[in-house]
Amino acid sequence: MKKILTVLFSLLVIAAMLLAACKPPAPAAPEAAAPAEEAAPVEEAAPAEEAAPPEKVTIRWFVGLGTGANPEHIPGQEEVVARFNETHDNIELVVEFVENSIAPDQLKTQIAAGDPPDIIGPVGWSGTNEFSGLFLDLEPYLGAFDWGDFDADSINAYRLEGEGLLGLPFAVFPSMIYYNRDLFDEAGLAYPPQNYGDPYADGDPWTVEKLEELALALTVDANGNDANSPDFDPKNIVQFGYHSQWTDPRGQAAALFGADNFIDDEGNAVLSERWRSAFNWYYEGMHVKHFMPNTTYQESDLLAAGNPFDSGNVAIVHCHLWYTCCLGNVPNWDMAVVPSYNDAGDVTVKLHADTFRIFASTENPEEAVEVLLYLTGEAAGDLLQIYGGMPGRISLQEEFFATMDERFPQGVNWDVAVQGLAYPDVPNHESNLPNYAKAYDRIGAFQTLYESTPDLDINAELDNLVADLQVIFDEAK
Amino acid sequence: MTTMFSEFTLRNLRFTRGKLSKLARREANWGLLFLSPWIIGFFLWKFLPMIASLVFSFTSFNLLHREDVQWAGLENYIRFFGDPLAGVAIKVSLTFALISLPIGIIQPILMAALLNQKSLRWKRIFTTLFYMPKIVPMVSVVYIWQGVLNARTGWVNIALESIGIPGPDWINTVAWIYPALVLIGLWGVGDMMLYTLATMQGIPTELYEAARVDGAGAFATFWHITIPMITPIIFYNLVLSSIGILMYFLVPYVLKGPNGDPGNATWFYGMYLYKEAFAYSDMGMGATMAWILFLFAIVVTIILFSTQKYWVFYAAEEV
Repeated sequence: MKKILTVLFSLLVIAAMLLAACKPPAPAAPEAAAPAEEAAPVEEAAPAEEAAPPEKVTIRWFVGLGTGANPEHIPGQEEVVARFNETHDNIELVVEFVENSIAPDQLKTQIAAGDPPDIIGPVGWSGTNEFSGLFLDLEPYLGAFDWGDFDADSINAYRLEGEGLLGLPFAVFPSMIYYNRDLFDEAGLAYPPQNYGDPYADGDPWTVEKLEELALALTVDANGNDANSPDFDPKNIVQFGYHSQWTDPRGQAAALFGADNFIDDEGNAVLSERWRSAFNWYYEGMHVKHFMPNTTYQESDLLAAGNPFDSGNVAIVHCHLWYTCCLGNVPNWDMAVVPSYNDAGDVTVKLHADTFRIFASTENPEEAVEVLLYLTGEAAGDLLQIYGGMPGRISLQEEFFATMDERFPQGVNWDVAVQGLAYPDVPNHESNLPNYAKAYDRIGAFQTLYESTPDLDINAELDNLVADLQVIFDEAK
Repeated sequence: MTTMFSEFTLRNLRFTRGKLSKLARREANWGLLFLSPWIIGFFLWKFLPMIASLVFSFTSFNLLHREDVQWAGLENYIRFFGDPLAGVAIKVSLTFALISLPIGIIQPILMAALLNQKSLRWKRIFTTLFYMPKIVPMVSVVYIWQGVLNARTGWVNIALESIGIPGPDWINTVAWIYPALVLIGLWGVGDMMLYTLATMQGIPTELYEAARVDGAGAFATFWHITIPMITPIIFYNLVLSSIGILMYFLVPYVLKGPNGDPGNATWFYGMYLYKEAFAYSDMGMGATMAWILFLFAIVVTIILFSTQKYWVFYAAEEV
């Protein structure tokens, strides 16, 4: 009997150890978890005469939905966290880094388990669309906040009807044209313009048509023929003229053909004629005129298996400022302005903007907001250097570009990025859609299809896309 | 046949415990103690989640809105069987199984037969080379193959074109994606090859000598002696491969992403399950699909086991 008891006791000990190992770390001060509406500071709860050290509230910061979880990003962020904890007696900031590809799944699991983090970010619109409706309205917690260091339009971008102010501008990433000077020089072509409103060097307006003309001349096959030549061999291309890098169809269309969306104000799936012509242009560019790489070329070693511009074999790409992260093999690149999509000279510069957000479920909204203000304020300069983002705070922008000049000594005209902020895409190409995950997948499937399939009836596929999106939108009603 | 472990089955414990000697009981208790971490782990992290997922399958559990969970009865099951994408997933999985299973079973047998040849030199080097791809992480393998099979710059097409054969677009066309997936899969049959080779090397040499005396040729010997004697390992490989194909996910996910590209050709059941449960956060539906897959795998396994008496030869039974 004694031995059986010993065995049972051992089992209990093992079970207890296993359960203890699984248990999430308890908040340091559960009694400080005041209801959100009271939002009482922890210090007030403790009588001052006892002089007991104030108990800390734990605030969890989840990094990975956007940038920030790469190994090279982590030490700098840990320093920022350590500095915060050294200077704050009331809050223990705990950071969790999760690799980007699994971050959404892991965050969903935490939410489902009733254990979501307090703060997430940096993250853009696209990364938060799936979690819409779960974020805290910051406005009631900001009090007498100094708004003077932000551009008013960029603040309003985070104010959503019915949800309030969901973030503060932290990092903005305008888009632009990146071009390889060496390839232009080799072809004897003048560089594209660097001021909005300027024409191309030959006096022609800087339009999508002009961009195509340059791209055709810069697309070269293995025999040295460019894409205008009757001897051009599209099966042996060694250099492409243009590519819309690392974006989805909404981004492709908005990049050169103006802001729009697949949904109208009544919630119906739609496709404007402008965007229809955009997708026809891309399709023809890949499969008929061949100045853009199709999927096979994009995945090939010729184009660095997925990083086309950095392969040195693409002359012009459209991308965002964050693409500076991934440029290492093309030493002589620069930026140019986005061409206009019509004769009137209208331009759209699609914009990415990252910020931090707080989950409405947080038990410590005031402390979470305090952390958010630290990340977007005092620590912003350091964090933006880590993430490579252009500061949303005007006062930090000059220092940011000075550092960028050190990284890219060939001389980059960063003013192109600053000018672009005046032409944001509204609605944003990453804006939410009903039944977002399914709608995003369907749009992505269309991209894969048209980028990889020659002899496609692109207009019929666009009609199918709109019809399918309507079904997906209706599911959410 | 009685084995030394048979007394430790639950059934026997229940009926014979009273008859056990003091020493045997003590040993049994210690045995249970040492097994307890696994038993507790299994209970906490396998059995309980399985039961939880069964309950989830009858609810509208959404990962992002757990406060809205409602009892849904059989709604998820009805929805599954009415969803055209479920039909696509089943068709894709079965089609791929029909293509890849025979090749995946035959290939290791051929490789093992080659390595079992007495006349083959450098056997150990070949065995190591054949097994080596198995130790490369599968994600890396897929990325390597993505480059190797690229229609423009991949080695396979460069080799084909050097002999005048235009190479296909292996990974971007519906017609060629399955051969591409089979090729990638064949790279990882090293373990099956080793099991088969070990079994082949265990076949009594007397059988081959008798066949030679009877005038049997190489093919007849292979067909009438080697194959029957390795049927247990073929059966083992078949069962594991069948279940593996039902859960097939990683290779198409890394190669073509989660949308079933090209043209739904990689919309495997596992992909569909992943999308519903995690991308669309519909854990109720995801759990339903997991249970349907589980039940289907059980049926497949039972069918395979019921056929073994017709073609699997266990030498020990005949002795």
